[in-house]
Amino acid sequence: MVTVKINGKEITVEDNTLILDAARHAGYEIPTFCYQADLVGIGSCRMCLVEIEGQRKLQPSCVTPVLHGMAINTETPTVMSARASMLEFLLANHALDCPVCDKGGECELQDMVYKYGPHKGRHAEPKFKFQEKDYALSPVIIKNSNRCVQCLKCVRVCREVVGANVLGALGRGDHQEETSFFRHFLDCDQDGNCIEVCPVGCFMRLPYRYKTRPWDLKGADTICQWCATGCRMVIEERDGVLIRSKAQFGVGLNSETLCARGRFGNDSMTRAERLKTPLVRRFGKLEPASWQEALAVIKDNVPSDGERIGGIASPRLTNEELYLFQKLFRNVFGSANIDSSARWDPDAVEAFIKAASMDAGGVSVFDCMESETVIVIGSQVSDENPVTDYIIRRISAGRRMNLVIASPRAMKLDSSANLKIRHTAGKAGALLESVILSFNSARVAGTGGLEDMASGRLASVTSEAGVDGEAVESLARKLKSSGSVAIMAGTDFLRFPEGIAKLGLLKDLLKSSGKKVSVLPLLDRANQRGAWEMGVHPSLGPAYARAKQKGLGTDEMLEAVSKGALDFLYIAGSDVASMYPDEGVATAALGRARFLVVQDTFMTDTAKFAHVVLPGAAFGEKEGTFTNQEGRAQAIRRLMHPPGKAKPDLDIIRAIGERFDPSFGPKNFVLALDEIRSGNRMYSNVSLAFNNKKNSDNRLDSKEALVQGAGASDLEAKEFAQKPSAESAEYPFRLITGNHLFHSGKGTMRSETLSGLLKAAVVEISEEDAASLGLKNGDRVRVKSKDYAAVVTLRTARGSKNAHAFLAENFEDCPVNRFLRRGEGPPMVSITRA
Amino acid sequence: MLSEEAKKEIEKALRKYPNKRSAVMDALRSAQKARGGHLEKADMDEIAVILEMQSVEVNAAAAFYTMYNIDKPVGRHHIQVCRNISCSLLGAEHLIKHMERTLNIKTGETTPDKRITLSTVECLGSCGTAPMMQINDDFHENLTEAKVDEILKGLK
Repeated sequence: MVTVKINGKEITVEDNTLILDAARHAGYEIPTFCYQADLVGIGSCRMCLVEIEGQRKLQPSCVTPVLHGMAINTETPTVMSARASMLEFLLANHALDCPVCDKGGECELQDMVYKYGPHKGRHAEPKFKFQEKDYALSPVIIKNSNRCVQCLKCVRVCREVVGANVLGALGRGDHQEETSFFRHFLDCDQDGNCIEVCPVGCFMRLPYRYKTRPWDLKGADTICQWCATGCRMVIEERDGVLIRSKAQFGVGLNSETLCARGRFGNDSMTRAERLKTPLVRRFGKLEPASWQEALAVIKDNVPSDGERIGGIASPRLTNEELYLFQKLFRNVFGSANIDSSARWDPDAVEAFIKAASMDAGGVSVFDCMESETVIVIGSQVSDENPVTDYIIRRISAGRRMNLVIASPRAMKLDSSANLKIRHTAGKAGALLESVILSFNSARVAGTGGLEDMASGRLASVTSEAGVDGEAVESLARKLKSSGSVAIMAGTDFLRFPEGIAKLGLLKDLLKSSGKKVSVLPLLDRANQRGAWEMGVHPSLGPAYARAKQKGLGTDEMLEAVSKGALDFLYIAGSDVASMYPDEGVATAALGRARFLVVQDTFMTDTAKFAHVVLPGAAFGEKEGTFTNQEGRAQAIRRLMHPPGKAKPDLDIIRAIGERFDPSFGPKNFVLALDEIRSGNRMYSNVSLAFNNKKNSDNRLDSKEALVQGAGASDLEAKEFAQKPSAESAEYPFRLITGNHLFHSGKGTMRSETLSGLLKAAVVEISEEDAASLGLKNGDRVRVKSKDYAAVVTLRTARGSKNAHAFLAENFEDCPVNRFLRRGEGPPMVSITRA
Repeated sequence: MLSEEAKKEIEKALRKYPNKRSAVMDALRSAQKARGGHLEKADMDEIAVILEMQSVEVNAAAAFYTMYNIDKPVGRHHIQVCRNISCSLLGAEHLIKHMERTLNIKTGETTPDKRITLSTVECLGSCGTAPMMQINDDFHENLTEAKVDEILKGLK
């Protein structure tokens, strides 16, 4: 600890604290442009100059650490005049076109000149102009360099946080322009973090351009809906239209970063095609109806036998809605048939929860990043959870640690990894087994037969995983030499559940070797973890307690519907027809359903089969909580009212329940949360108070948001057999899927901005494969399996595993579930020039 | 396309540094020489691939230094006159005007016969021999009007 005097006030701070942080901590304001806590300091803007007694020159406080006994003055006339001079220089060439600048009203330069600046400039020279007209850098970014203050935050955030590294500072001095290569269109993540960090109106969002002034916007501080990272953001509307979503500096685990989906995807909320009224099928046609009518029809059609009723709720509903949904089924309908995913097998989910120790409570991603070795496996984290990717990149760059990435596809985060492993898709289990055998090889050394057996097995699983032995050994060595290990395990384990057992085994092995082990699940739906913890699972109730009666999962429900064993299916927010991994099976079952209720915000493919369609609310139109992948329960807030007669989903579920039991409740989200808190041990400490709190000192990790452990658990981990894929020379590529960087499920396809970035399907293969087929990036190709063929655009990726093709599950024009077959492994496809 | 010779030079430069990207300035110089005095977008793209950098990083490095001429073809002889403090005090401005008159071009322009390009730069680190200028790779120091005339005459 170091004691220093700031403006005469004595304070004690940790060693190596920056003067800026110490002063801010002591309550003094120091203006900055180029400083940002999560970026490497460059001390270029000179706004933060302070006076240190005994030093003749002013010092930049954002790059100068405190030393014991320093006496620092931040508000002397010298400092104030230095600030004014800096601003005068910045204004010398600044465009000063505030009346037409989008940033006007929330511009840091405006604020600073107002507060510190000279209110009259002395520069008589003509202003230097970079260009006469603003130019677009991408479909979402427009640039006006004449307003630049050369703080380089855009370039640094692009390099250090996003890892895209496509912006550079061209030229020097006041002629330095932060822009792309030759001002060309950017081929990047399009996440607009450069817009967010820009203190002035230099980088601007194109969709927001000339729409409004910031003071005309009404905002709500909420949690993003597009993946399970759980980024906090403010969504803002004007006149009933969602105008923009933005992150806030130093708030939420994401601070000032968001991905393209979070920043640009929420405009889907106020699309005109939203469902605005209940629909009831009359004579084969869905027709508008009143809520009374719709609910009456539902009541008449609910069978008395609970076994003939099934429910599927979306993992994008809030905890309160999901809790009420399972309560409706278990307590009112007497049915155990509920599930929260159209894609995952509930037994695989249970095994995954056990392997990832999710019942032991929340695990902070920041704690995981403190580990000596971090393994990312089974997740295309750069695409699925972009902000988790930012956190991993930023923290791993700043400390000595091992980052190991195992994935068939190359990803952006590879550049931060010490070890990349490219295994065959679906063979994460074999890879983990080989790591376990290699880790344990010393124990069987010199045992003769036992050693031969182990090494024989090692050779066979290593080749099954399609990796080289050296990579496996290197990973085992890294694990052996680490005292703490974090495993980030993604949704591929749920796609290929045969790997889950090995994940649990590796965790147990490392634990028994005395290492600190944490497992962080990487999930792709905002409240997937919450859905499981609320008990929307056929065999697990709230807090992963075993349900009294085991019900059917999505897959079994669809089968039961097809066979006529299930009469009534209630699907809330889930698009089963387009997400279930075999479109034919799903649509055949839904078409045969005797009575199907679908509650959603849009007319989805599933809703088209419904007998009753109920208009639900989007995430910005209701209150509730989401539990992110780490287990942080965070509040989402209402910004608008649902359109037309649409209602918050909690009210709809409750209204259905009340038809059967007038006392069914709780009546609102606060009461529902209270009931969850009192009944669900994991959520007993969840409160909304900390969700409202702003983080201070840029501490992004608010641990009080993490859910507690469930106590003793009786989770079961079934063994899963590998599903066969018909391999043949005719179809050389293994087709794998997941979310595209710009999309999450089908919901983001409704976003005008995101579908502007990418709407038509693309298939990705490795550069080498493309070269050997004589194809290149951008070519139109035919993807053909034994069952289905489609023409899409080719993307090539450097460093991906050969003989793998990636087709995201988001596209409308080439649904990946037409390739997938129930009961089969990843489909094999051929790729030829179209 | 970079010439074979330029590629060979870059290969050689790579051996001097612990990591590839450190060779960016050598690479840019080789590319500029191969093109006869300036750089184009394609050169930087190619250098980025060889050095495993992003194109924009190569562009940023090149744009920082006055010795690289991005998209600005220069004459066979590129005259860069220093106009920093020492040189200015000892008459650089006067020399620049004199050369503009003699060559009948303005600063930043090239003679119609593509013989000479005249430009001004910041300090070239030869203040002790001010005023001075650089023609292609050579320094010319302690300049006077007469000396400049003689030098210009020698440029073919």
